[in-house]
Amino acid sequence: MNLLGTQREPRELRPRVFVVGGFFALGLLVLAVNLYRLMVVRYEEFLALSVDNQFKDVRVRAPRGLIRDSRGEVLVDARPSLDVFITPAFCQRCVAEVIPRLGTLLSWSDDVVTRVSDQIRLTRGPQRYQQQLVQVDLTRDEFDVLSSHQFQLPGVDLEAVPHRHYRSGDALAHVLGFMNEVTAEELAKLNSGREERPPYAMGDYTGRRGVERSFESSLRGQDGWVKQVVNARGEVMRDELGNVLKHDEVPPRPGRNLVLSIDARLQSEAERAFPGTAGALVALDARTGFVRAMVSRPSYDPNEMTGRVSPQRLAQLNRDPLQPMVFRAGAQHYSPGSVFKVVTLLAALRTGTFTEASGVSCGGGYQLGARRWRCHSDRGHGLMHAHEAMRGSCDVYFYRAADLMGIDAIAEAGRELGLGSITNFGVAAEVPGIMPSTEYHNRATPGGYQKGMALNTSIGQGDVNVTPLQLAVAYAAIANGGKVYQPQMVERVETADGQLVEAFSPKLVRDVHITPDQHRVLIDSLVAVVHEAGGTGGRSRLPDVTVAGKTGTAQVARLGAVRLKTHQMDYWQRDHAWFAAFAPAEAPELVVVVLNEHGGHGGTDAAPAAKAVLAKYFELKRLDREAFGLDYVPPRPPPAVRAPVLMPPTQAPDDGSDSSLAREDTGGGPEDESPARPSLTGKPGPEDAPGGN
Amino acid sequence: MQLSAQRRFERVPWGLLFAVLLTAVVGIYNLASASRPPSAPMWGSQLLYLGVGLALVAGVGLLDYRLLQRLTVPLYVLNIVALVALKFFGHKAKGAESWFVLGPFRVQPAEFMKIGMVLMLAKYFHDDDRPGAPAQGFLRLLPAAFIALFPTVIVLSQPDLGTALMMLFTALTMVLFSKPTAPVWVGLGVAAALSLGVLWNDYVREQPEGDRLTFVRHKLKKHQDGRISGWLDPTSDLRGTNYHAMQSKIAVGSGGWSGKGWMQGTQTGLRFLPEQHTDFIFSVFAEEQGFGRALLLLLLYGAVLLGSLRVALTARDKFGAYVAVGISAMLFWQVFENIGMVTGLLPITGITLPLLSYGGSSMVSVMLGIGLLVNISMSRQLFSS
Repeated sequence: MNLLGTQREPRELRPRVFVVGGFFALGLLVLAVNLYRLMVVRYEEFLALSVDNQFKDVRVRAPRGLIRDSRGEVLVDARPSLDVFITPAFCQRCVAEVIPRLGTLLSWSDDVVTRVSDQIRLTRGPQRYQQQLVQVDLTRDEFDVLSSHQFQLPGVDLEAVPHRHYRSGDALAHVLGFMNEVTAEELAKLNSGREERPPYAMGDYTGRRGVERSFESSLRGQDGWVKQVVNARGEVMRDELGNVLKHDEVPPRPGRNLVLSIDARLQSEAERAFPGTAGALVALDARTGFVRAMVSRPSYDPNEMTGRVSPQRLAQLNRDPLQPMVFRAGAQHYSPGSVFKVVTLLAALRTGTFTEASGVSCGGGYQLGARRWRCHSDRGHGLMHAHEAMRGSCDVYFYRAADLMGIDAIAEAGRELGLGSITNFGVAAEVPGIMPSTEYHNRATPGGYQKGMALNTSIGQGDVNVTPLQLAVAYAAIANGGKVYQPQMVERVETADGQLVEAFSPKLVRDVHITPDQHRVLIDSLVAVVHEAGGTGGRSRLPDVTVAGKTGTAQVARLGAVRLKTHQMDYWQRDHAWFAAFAPAEAPELVVVVLNEHGGHGGTDAAPAAKAVLAKYFELKRLDREAFGLDYVPPRPPPAVRAPVLMPPTQAPDDGSDSSLAREDTGGGPEDESPARPSLTGKPGPEDAPGGN
Repeated sequence: MQLSAQRRFERVPWGLLFAVLLTAVVGIYNLASASRPPSAPMWGSQLLYLGVGLALVAGVGLLDYRLLQRLTVPLYVLNIVALVALKFFGHKAKGAESWFVLGPFRVQPAEFMKIGMVLMLAKYFHDDDRPGAPAQGFLRLLPAAFIALFPTVIVLSQPDLGTALMMLFTALTMVLFSKPTAPVWVGLGVAAALSLGVLWNDYVREQPEGDRLTFVRHKLKKHQDGRISGWLDPTSDLRGTNYHAMQSKIAVGSGGWSGKGWMQGTQTGLRFLPEQHTDFIFSVFAEEQGFGRALLLLLLYGAVLLGSLRVALTARDKFGAYVAVGISAMLFWQVFENIGMVTGLLPITGITLPLLSYGGSSMVSVMLGIGLLVNISMSRQLFSS
């Protein structure tokens, strides 16, 4: 059928066309089989991946719980912090131009610029569409500067983010604590076993020190989650009305609020009245062990520590010879000086070494072997009984007692009162202090125990060391007849809307055996210190309340031949001024211990602060009574409804003991004239009488 | 020797045209979903391109067959010139110099080069006809190799690896179709084995870092290198070089039997697919339409190829047959490469899917090819009974 007779007849090509056709069919078959493999065999797998793709778990931060004082005044809450974020994908010429420019505007050091550049450079993939935090807590000025340069800073966002706010600044800093970022190791530990929706994320803050740390699990809420629909760039998709498309959502549970036993009004009075550069003040409820006010000086600003503390500033805080970071009420121990004499007297009475009527004659010193122990009064006090010895803080009386009974009786009494071991305050670090005994000296002192050490210990010198908090607990026990309580600062944990989660009852550590007779002798002698002529603590006398107290002037440096006045000494050589007191003496409510580090004399440099705090306490009590018609009792939360417990409580509830115990007024208002009370008309004791030697 | 209008009308390959039109309509329907808001709707302009394409089919189809043969050499040279000119006047997009900007249009010369190369090869094989010695030896294939490789190398240097590979495979198909001698088969087999060997040496063999012996790898651009290594190890670097390949596989695989529904594809709607209206258009189709309809689409392409090869069977002369086979091969390799790449069978090389992908140049080049097929079909001498 070759009409044209062409030689280029394509007939011979025909079989080859079929071969090509077969090859094409084979190719399409390969594609079809591959499609079957993907779309039918592996369908489930890819469907799951496509679902993973389109939903993003977005964390909704739970607000952290507030910290309130016992009356509900907010001590710690949140404030907006202006933070700087960079979204790498929108930040053009980020490392080359934008970050250096930002660094100039915010006066970053080269190190910071390098760190931020690395941080941005290392973001990958969808992360590039997420905001990266590069600077927290701008000042108002910095915010203004950045805002005005906004157009030169593409991809840089300024946003207000909730930030912990310590309203009272450096007050209570050591016990409230502060917060900063979790470290990588902590993150691994906190999130272990909870890979799905881990509770902590990189960049989260966690409590450091104080109640922020010890109540972290209560204060921190449970973050919520929203499954949002996102596109490939991580942009959140919205419907026509502009609402975020949500697939699923778990609302956040706000953190628990803490109610402290602190009374903010008493606290501010304590802050105001505290006399010295350094030291501590502890005001404790004698009936329960709850802390009402607590000062540790010098302090630091937890806002600064939580925000943008620079390494330089941190180094400066750590180098400061006054050690502002140290919690002086519990984590530093001191020679107690004469405030310790109650322990010696208690030991003497308990062992029967002395009775109330036992007398010792003071001639200005006490001879033991070849050495003479001086009394702080060179002239001598004359014949001393328990009452006068305490009032005038006569050292010889206590030397004699120690000589007779030895160091171990004192150590036993001290230990029972809680000295020499930590109080388990819980919210801040503590040191145990030292309560020396024969065993201690044989172990720690070259040459072993000597009788002289008992003499030193009896007046609170030598190796005996206590923390202000321990002393407050010990004085509370003496005041309340022997009950040693564990000091506490958190009264209860509440939900964000005020439902009670957990209330903490007073925790009795030990009931020290003190007979009513011994108790009366101790209280009488301490009242004499404040209220009787010749007492060393006259400056803490209140007009309408009986105060029992004891001064202490703890020697820091060895005495020279000549006694120097305080102002003649170098700061670091000066004595520590102590004052420990409680009132009302008949039915003690509040114990106040003041330590004025290198402050001078207990009677002049510590007692007035204690007086101010006690006065404020009773004034507040009167005000509350006037306002409420009765003794102020903090509102009790509604009892029954308990939110389902999502987290285990931080501490196991107490063994069912009645929490109202703390609230019960044991009577003895300031108006009640106590028959046992000495005359208030006596003129104040000699002010120059120092506490100890 | 002009045939009557009616005879000519009957000779139009209606089956082929119907299959092409149906595929293009499916493409526009699919494009409407791929370019759903907030993207600009692209199906409108695609419809316009389809109209232009059909006009081209008519125009090319009605050209005189002999004129076509005469135009082959000038067309080929013109295309080469255009490709070279691109080096100097081209518009750079995504790192490749592939475009001429002519007013509102962007013209991609490589798309036309494919056709020019097919025509030129067909003309060479037609002219080289030696009835006494039908088999093609090495020497006779040398000019064919030059015709194919010269433009391919220029396209490769743009760089447009996808189109270059497609041209290479199309030319190879035509060469094999020309019935080469056994030594050529052996030679090509050896070349294929060598390529595999190079691939194995450069990518698969464990080599100590710093002391690598590679033949091609170090000459590739970084993104090309990443695509090949990603193709050989699909689970590696899912956030980086393999991200797009993986997202495309997820889109296709999550379609299942029945698909997610038109406009309902999540991979598409949330923009996980790169270039979803051009290179990755098939992933959109598979995700939303499911396995069944994807298979139908493959059959539709099969119908187009069948129609094209029928034209080759009925061609008047060798030139026509070779052009028809070349155009078929071009379509086949483009479909194979594109679908193979979006389903993870082949490395990612930027290449469009004929009739489905958005784009004027792609549409025009496909329609030019179809027009040629129509022309060949209408110019045939006889009915093949």
